[in-house]
Amino acid sequence: MKGYWKYFLNKFGWFLITFVCAFLLNFTLPRLMPGDPVAAIVSRLAQGMSDATGVQAIYQQYADLFATNQPMHEQFFIYIRNVARGDFGFSFSQYPRTVAQVIKGSIVWTLALQFPAIIVGWLIGNTLGALAAYLKGGFDKVLMPISIFISNFPAFGMAVILMVVFGVYLQWFPTSGGYGFDLIPTLSWNFIWSVIVHYQLPFWSIVLIAIGGQAIGMRSMAIYELNADYVKYSRFLGIKDRKIIGYVFRNAMLPQITGLALSVGTMVGGALVAEIIFSYPGLGFTLLTAVRGQDYPLISAATLIITIMVLSANFLIEILYGFIDPRIKAAQAD
Amino acid sequence: MSKKLNVLISALFIFSVILTACATPTPQTITVVETQVVTVKETQVVTVKETQIVAVVPTAAPLDAAAVAAALPRNETLYFNGQQWGPVVGWNPYSSSNNNAMAISQQDSARVTMFETPYLYNMLDGKQYPLLADGDYAWNDARTEITFKIKAAAKWSDGTPVTAEDYAYTWATHVKYNTPTGAGNKDYIEDIVAVDAQTVVIKAKLNAEGKAVNPLLVSAFVSTNYVIQKAWTEILEARVGGDATALLADPAEDVVYSGPYHKFYTDDTKVVMVRDDNYWGQDASMWGKLPVPKYLAHAIFKDNAAGFVALQVGQVDVSQQFNANIQDLWLKNMLPISTYLPEAPYGIGASLPTAFFNLKSHGLDQVAVRKAIAMAVDYDTIISNAMTNQSATFNQVPRSLMNPTPGEQALYNHEAVKDLQWAGKDYEGAKALLDEAGIVDTDGDGWREYEGKKLSYVATCPNGWSDWQAAIEVVAAAGKEIGIDITSNYPEWSVYQTVVTKSDAPLAEGYDIFMMWSAGAGPTMPWGRIRNLLSSEFVGMASNWNGNWGQYSNPEVDALIQAIPGETDEAKLIEMYTELVRIYLTEIPSFTLMYRPQSFHAVNETIWTNFPHQDDGTNPPVPPLNLTDGWSIAGLYNLMLTTP
Repeated sequence: MKGYWKYFLNKFGWFLITFVCAFLLNFTLPRLMPGDPVAAIVSRLAQGMSDATGVQAIYQQYADLFATNQPMHEQFFIYIRNVARGDFGFSFSQYPRTVAQVIKGSIVWTLALQFPAIIVGWLIGNTLGALAAYLKGGFDKVLMPISIFISNFPAFGMAVILMVVFGVYLQWFPTSGGYGFDLIPTLSWNFIWSVIVHYQLPFWSIVLIAIGGQAIGMRSMAIYELNADYVKYSRFLGIKDRKIIGYVFRNAMLPQITGLALSVGTMVGGALVAEIIFSYPGLGFTLLTAVRGQDYPLISAATLIITIMVLSANFLIEILYGFIDPRIKAAQAD
Repeated sequence: MSKKLNVLISALFIFSVILTACATPTPQTITVVETQVVTVKETQVVTVKETQIVAVVPTAAPLDAAAVAAALPRNETLYFNGQQWGPVVGWNPYSSSNNNAMAISQQDSARVTMFETPYLYNMLDGKQYPLLADGDYAWNDARTEITFKIKAAAKWSDGTPVTAEDYAYTWATHVKYNTPTGAGNKDYIEDIVAVDAQTVVIKAKLNAEGKAVNPLLVSAFVSTNYVIQKAWTEILEARVGGDATALLADPAEDVVYSGPYHKFYTDDTKVVMVRDDNYWGQDASMWGKLPVPKYLAHAIFKDNAAGFVALQVGQVDVSQQFNANIQDLWLKNMLPISTYLPEAPYGIGASLPTAFFNLKSHGLDQVAVRKAIAMAVDYDTIISNAMTNQSATFNQVPRSLMNPTPGEQALYNHEAVKDLQWAGKDYEGAKALLDEAGIVDTDGDGWREYEGKKLSYVATCPNGWSDWQAAIEVVAAAGKEIGIDITSNYPEWSVYQTVVTKSDAPLAEGYDIFMMWSAGAGPTMPWGRIRNLLSSEFVGMASNWNGNWGQYSNPEVDALIQAIPGETDEAKLIEMYTELVRIYLTEIPSFTLMYRPQSFHAVNETIWTNFPHQDDGTNPPVPPLNLTDGWSIAGLYNLMLTTP
């Protein structure tokens, strides 16, 4: 157990160092972009203003409010102090909404769309990949080209095809929004059904692409494992196929689990393409708008969440690996 | 294994559905509505004192529960697109930062769905029609004061009368808290006073000679800015404790309004307004009835493409966005969709998207170079490609400083400037002009030189503004035809606007030829547009959102721009405007690339019909401004159901 503690502390130390670096970058990088975010706010306010000096006064007012006229290091200390209190400040692009309000409004949609899509895509993809490796023959010959074809599809291409085929031509599913354009949210079957129906196209546009990639990865790993010495040896020993396949897939699963953890970690970044094409609410588009509008507080907050999610997912996986595969722990603890 | 997998997938699916359903407000928001009416003032005053800025939560206004339990009735709801991008931030009429396009927009044709102006501007005839005001306003003989009365029937949503004192207090608040409206007008308006409960006097700021500094802007004020209730303003002031920033940042959920619609529901996906059936405007002294649709709804689309699909499938009735090849919808797809004009340009051009020259770039200080580039540009390609023919051509409406509306076209002498016009795509003419000016290719590399240096420019506009990008490509191609090297570059808007609006220093490298907009139709036009395009008062500003971004300076032009607002003689005005057009077409500090409507306006008549269109018989004519802006709101009273 002592070895495991050493391994754990080592990983935790790296977690902290990475976090500090990422935190610094989260703050600095958006602010290094050329351009002036206050000018964008003033552009909205100045519409219809005929007096030139009035525009200057408004500009100064907002530069003071957002402290963009302060030196960078002072902005950084203000930022740290506020973040420590859980306060990410005002969103520049949606002022006077706060960053917390903006994120709160969209993150649930993102999680609801992304999490199930990632899990379902992962499960179906890995199952198909494993079956292709095991069954070989016709199944593999059909599945492989289809998987390669689908996994290389650009996300927007898949989304547009689904929309045109199932939304515009067949009209099975609606083309935009999170629920019916004519509905007001209520806890009624009418509304819930509308949510389910609107969910389908964005959901499958993500799942289909994920399935292809996962299937290819799992198939390669499984084929490699199926040819490993321990499989041959097990067969000589007369161990049942079912049991051997259990071993094989458990081993082949390891890299896939890492991939899954990373996907789950990055999912708060939002399914940008699906959100844009289906006008689906979510954090991806909010983040894109924030980047375009140089909304520093919103960019920093969103990227901080992504950073924490990815680092935590990686950290947990590393810790779990230590349990699952003693070789890793042993190698790292040396 | 497969059973477990099935169970897992099913569980995940159910989980996702539940999670998605939870993402939207639950009915509590709506069921508490009835109590909200009673408590809203008290609770908001108390809570806001602590936080100063309140969240805009999905809200529903008082309405019978049965109506909100399910869908918005399709035949009572008018759906829009192209106005609202992103979620609503607030309902504060003092602020310009509400991102609440359906309710708040104080502009040349102010949006009057929820808040109202004394007068409504009609871009088709250039007149201001009374709304809250009773009859026309009157200037005094010295043209230093405007007087008008408020209609006796005009009421706030809380039932109290709209008074002259409300209007005076609105102005005083704008000035006291330095709101955009206050800051933008206090150089022209001295004060607004209430003579009695109904009578308003607007006193113009006077110059050294005792004349109004700018009577045009004073008279425009009555149709561009809302009247806000004094009693509510005092509540707002109390809760922000006199802090100007907090006053502008307040989301004003409790605001009192005088217009026919008010907030009903908003979230990240839509905004819905509902009719106030007690609206004062049903009085015989105004409309005599209520507007026809009970709800105005706007789904929040992520881009034009999504809005375009919704228009096609009948989920949008009024479309205020650029829909490429709009005519295909009725000619090829046989959809019941139409525009204000049945043929190209389909709408009324109002603004002039313009290519500005950086007059400090090497060679661009030479008129011959500027004119040669302008002559070589293929405008027909810009209009057919970038605008898919939704712009009048320059053969139909020759370039000037005026938009294509008949009122503005009549303000200058076309014959007097006829010789200064150019056709476009005139490569030979442009080359001859350059040759004559001695700007030729001296080193044989195919590019012309001026003072020994190659003429090489970057033409630019914001990335993603596809119609502008297409236009800039045509400009770049024109340069190559006449031996001037023009390349294109598309920075992000956030960078672009920062560079272009910084007029206190020479423009940065890479901004030799760049596109910006010009003002559309309004009560100060075309004077306001000309001022924005040519006045040197904006040169030297650190944040210049007004215009003249190429930093052109001409004392003769400045004098004319200053003189026009005080001029009342029609003939003299035409003379002055003609002179400005002559200078503009001679010196070419910038040039118009296309005409663009004030608002795009396409309608789907699946559910509603009798939308405004050319020669629709309305008098005064209802302009194609989406039935929400200025006099176009009259269109809401004329709508009919396609199938009653």
